[in-house]
Amino acid sequence: MIEEGRAARARSVRPEPDVAAGLSSSALAARAQQQRRHTSIVITGAQIVLVLLLVLGMFALNATSGNLIMPKPTDILDESIQLWSDGTMLQALAESLTVIGLGFLLSATTGILLGIVLGGFPLLGRVFDPFVNAMNSTPGAAFIPLIIVWFGLYTEAKIVVVWNAALFPILINTAAGIANSNKDLVEMARAFGARRFTLFWRVMVPDALPSILSGLRIGAAISTVGTVIAELTMAQSGLGGLLAAAGNRFQMDRYFAVVIVLMALGTALTAALRWVEHRFSRWRVSQREEA
Amino acid sequence: MSGKPSTVPLISLRQVGKSFKDGQVRALDNISLDVAPGEFVSLVGPSGCGKTTLLRIINGLIAPDEGTVAVLGGPPEPGPDLAMVFQSARLLPWLSVQGNLEFVLSLRGMGRSERAQRAAALLGAVGLREFAQAFPHELSGGMQQRVGLARALAVEPKVLLMDEPFAALDAMTREVLRHELWQMWSRRRIAIVFVTHDIDEAILLSQRIVLLRPRPGRVDEIVDVQLPEARWQSDPRTLPAFAEMRAHLWSRIHDMVRDGAELEELAGAFPADDSPG
Repeated sequence: MIEEGRAARARSVRPEPDVAAGLSSSALAARAQQQRRHTSIVITGAQIVLVLLLVLGMFALNATSGNLIMPKPTDILDESIQLWSDGTMLQALAESLTVIGLGFLLSATTGILLGIVLGGFPLLGRVFDPFVNAMNSTPGAAFIPLIIVWFGLYTEAKIVVVWNAALFPILINTAAGIANSNKDLVEMARAFGARRFTLFWRVMVPDALPSILSGLRIGAAISTVGTVIAELTMAQSGLGGLLAAAGNRFQMDRYFAVVIVLMALGTALTAALRWVEHRFSRWRVSQREEA
Repeated sequence: MSGKPSTVPLISLRQVGKSFKDGQVRALDNISLDVAPGEFVSLVGPSGCGKTTLLRIINGLIAPDEGTVAVLGGPPEPGPDLAMVFQSARLLPWLSVQGNLEFVLSLRGMGRSERAQRAAALLGAVGLREFAQAFPHELSGGMQQRVGLARALAVEPKVLLMDEPFAALDAMTREVLRHELWQMWSRRRIAIVFVTHDIDEAILLSQRIVLLRPRPGRVDEIVDVQLPEARWQSDPRTLPAFAEMRAHLWSRIHDMVRDGAELEELAGAFPADDSPG
């Protein structure tokens, strides 16, 4: 494909030499790079303008409607500095990260393992399909009362809430990735004498990796949501607990300071997993571009 | 196995038949065919004649419904004695070129260092030494197919099964790879069963051409190719023998297409076009 393209370009260039003569390939590359840089400056600039507008809007709303409806951004900043410096925020963050981390780890390992089993043994997959779908379609929060009865109100119960919410998207993505692995590659490996075990671990599972990783990304996002919900509704702790306490006392500046940390946390988690996804499925991305 | 005299066929099919879709679509019917060690045989025929199905049966990937198949004296079994080259290269996209070769070598239970050595040597042989660490998507279609061929040769097969390996390539790359394949064959003399729908390609490369008829796939005619051994020293396509053979095969195919048109009207009730091969 690449060779063809190059040949076609060479042919089309010949009758109009001024086009080719004007710019060397390095100059073209430099120009393209400059163009890209220009575009990213425009995007970042627009984003900064939006943030400024948002802050100004908050000030305006504060001036017209008072501190309860919208706290002053400067007060939010002061409160943030206060919370970070006295260790409150750090402690809450550590508590939340424990629940997110352990819950996600648990759901990732069990989800991938069960997904591999259900995807790899189609008969088993078909038997469990309605049950998996039923669990996946039920909001995670619906199980909180049961989990409280079974596991109590504290960290281990919260981890169960997160595990229960994040497990199924990871499981479903893994199973689908394995079940839909490339039949041509499987046949190739079989033709060269690969046995079941090899076929599975060295062809089907790697082929499903991009799908498993998107399951993990969705699972991580759900873990954050699940953690905050568990912290709000069970024993108040972590960022969710801080959020609820500030809200109940109408300390909206404090409340906003926590929300900002939650936003940053969620964004960082998703970005990290997107990076991992990109890193491990580069081949798939470039295949898609070719198609 | 190698000690056997060359008169014993390497591959032997007797009255092989195969149906798909619960017997609704008859893919192959009464196929009998022998391939001798070191022989280059082409399977030629219009689409729907079961060429690929036949190759899969020889490879042991699918079992025939009727008849017997013997490969290297036993029932066919996928493994290192039979190597397959597909129409698309079917390389594992997450492994480098070298990794792809080492993958099939590891299926044979070869040790790590031996694998690496062997893969490097083969990549040199197909002119891809500099691309050992490249990933398949970084290569052109012709280069990918070259890796596919190297992978098949890596396992040192006794039979090379090729399923329209050059059909998806551009004309120039195809010509180069045909030449390379023929040179490789004349050096190593491993048996090749080559599926193609390109008549010229079949005449150019093979010693024997098995012409198949479609729906169901049957042997129409087996033709020996009478061309000088050193085929690529000058272009054999200019020889009268080549033109004669080409004309003969084409006339047979035109006959088939005429019959096929009538058959297709009769068989209109079945979605026969989806049948593999």
